[in-house]
Amino acid sequence: MTSIPSQAAPALAIRADAEVVENRSEGGANHRLRLRVQGWPGSTPGQFVMLSPGSVGEVRRDDPLLPRPMAVYREHPAAGGAAEVEILYRVEGRGTALLTESAPGEAIRIVGPLGQPFPLAAAAARCLVVGGGTGVASLYGLVEALAAESRPEVLLGARSADDLMAHDDFAALGRPLVVTTEDGSLGETGLVTAPLERALARGDVDTVYSCGPTPMMRACAELAAAAGVRCFVSLENNMACGFGACLGCAAPRPAGDYALVCRDGPVFEASEIAWDGLP
Amino acid sequence: MSAAVDTKVDLGGISLRNPVLTASGTFGYGTELAPFLDLTRIGGFVAKSLTPQPRIGNPPPRIAEAPAGMLNAISLENVGVEAFVRDKLPALPDGVTVIASVFGTEPAHYAEVCKRLAGVPRVAGVEVNASCPHVKAGGIEFGQDPRALAELVRTVKRATGQPVLVKLSPNVTSIAEMARVCEGEGADGLSLVNAVQAMDVDVARRRTVLRNGLGGLSGPAIRPIALRMVWQAAQAVSIPICGIGGIMTAEDAVKFLLCGAVAVQVGTANYLDPAAAGRIADGIAEYAAEQGFPRVIDLVGALESW
Repeated sequence: MTSIPSQAAPALAIRADAEVVENRSEGGANHRLRLRVQGWPGSTPGQFVMLSPGSVGEVRRDDPLLPRPMAVYREHPAAGGAAEVEILYRVEGRGTALLTESAPGEAIRIVGPLGQPFPLAAAAARCLVVGGGTGVASLYGLVEALAAESRPEVLLGARSADDLMAHDDFAALGRPLVVTTEDGSLGETGLVTAPLERALARGDVDTVYSCGPTPMMRACAELAAAAGVRCFVSLENNMACGFGACLGCAAPRPAGDYALVCRDGPVFEASEIAWDGLP
Repeated sequence: MSAAVDTKVDLGGISLRNPVLTASGTFGYGTELAPFLDLTRIGGFVAKSLTPQPRIGNPPPRIAEAPAGMLNAISLENVGVEAFVRDKLPALPDGVTVIASVFGTEPAHYAEVCKRLAGVPRVAGVEVNASCPHVKAGGIEFGQDPRALAELVRTVKRATGQPVLVKLSPNVTSIAEMARVCEGEGADGLSLVNAVQAMDVDVARRRTVLRNGLGGLSGPAIRPIALRMVWQAAQAVSIPICGIGGIMTAEDAVKFLLCGAVAVQVGTANYLDPAAAGRIADGIAEYAAEQGFPRVIDLVGALESW
């Protein structure tokens, strides 16, 4: 098993009123949001933010009440010492529907960067990065950060071509890319676990990174474990705060206690999770 | 903040630089919020409820959004009183006012925690979380049974010389009766209200949204109920009251002061905006200045009659 080199500790989180630069549909329910954030300390791949659309200064909106956790898709420096933070989201409920209404120039409260990032595999390690549904948004920065020597391969799954997030961005990274759709509208027909199984069968993979629906991540974890390969997953959970205060985002551990997805995760080694206990 | 306004209040012997505390269970052990808020800017915070031993919480889902609020059933997960004193308190910056929340399934457990906290210099007072089921009394909440509540307050008062606040449950017919019981047993102040017992259902899965079934409703949805109960309790007793329930803004906090609360606790709002309590503290002072009150304490009970 390849050792994971130590990484610098993630930056301390901030609370800021971010300015919407762009917020547009990418076809289907997928949206891309670009935010300008003053004082952004920089995030590490795998970290997330809490977004409160329509809130600036005083809390003005009572319903829907809670902020929404969103992966940092990517970020880059912007004019005036600010940073631009990019978020990919899918409209699935009232919070994300409200998020679509934030127009350029308006403010969205952001708290972040939060959580533990993906540990980066050693440069020589061979990595598979497996994304499904909105989980794809957590993985772009990771693929960018993994060293070229590690020849990361990217496997992306979606229900249909319309649902697949950020396909063009991933293709432009120039890494080997396999796409699966359940309806066959793009790439291979079926689940993303099929190409994962084939890749693991080669016997040259050191590390699997996975983010997507819980059943998909669990399947990835089980396939990796069977192949004796280390697997990191990035979990989702209901979350009110994102910084370890509400204790709402408990994920069961094999010992019978709980990790917090926001503070101890969202990235976990798959063996740290008692998968049967996840909702 | 308006320098001209005196913001100090006294909550049952706990001296606060301003009337804004944060509510137990919404502010961790303080350090979680420290990156976002100068903890010396607020009156203080009430730490996560402590039990004699560490306690593991409920299986997920533990929280869910509700109309203008949220449901939670965390089940009082905490590090235990020993780790709180040893690890959590020393990690706080100087000048932060800390109130320890205590909890147990029988009065002796509360007393044990209070005795461990007695003489700990960083602890300004204790808040008795009376919303726990009393095992020996058949599982009814301490805060729902006047006799169990009286026994609990009496036991805690014997166990500690520190100021004792009692946090009352809203799930009662007469909050005034519960307030009088606490006052009669020597409580130094009251905090109200705790979360309102509630539930919700996921029709797609035909299950309750929380694994625990029942949970506590908090947030703006309960604010008018909380305000009514604070007003009723303030009519019933002369010990100071700390108002809690869906406070999101300084205006919300002022309503509680006008209804008779000496201080307030900000809870669910900390999740939405970890700097909320500081903003609310500033806003109360600004309101007092605008309204011509030289001291924030003068707002307490200053509700005009029709």
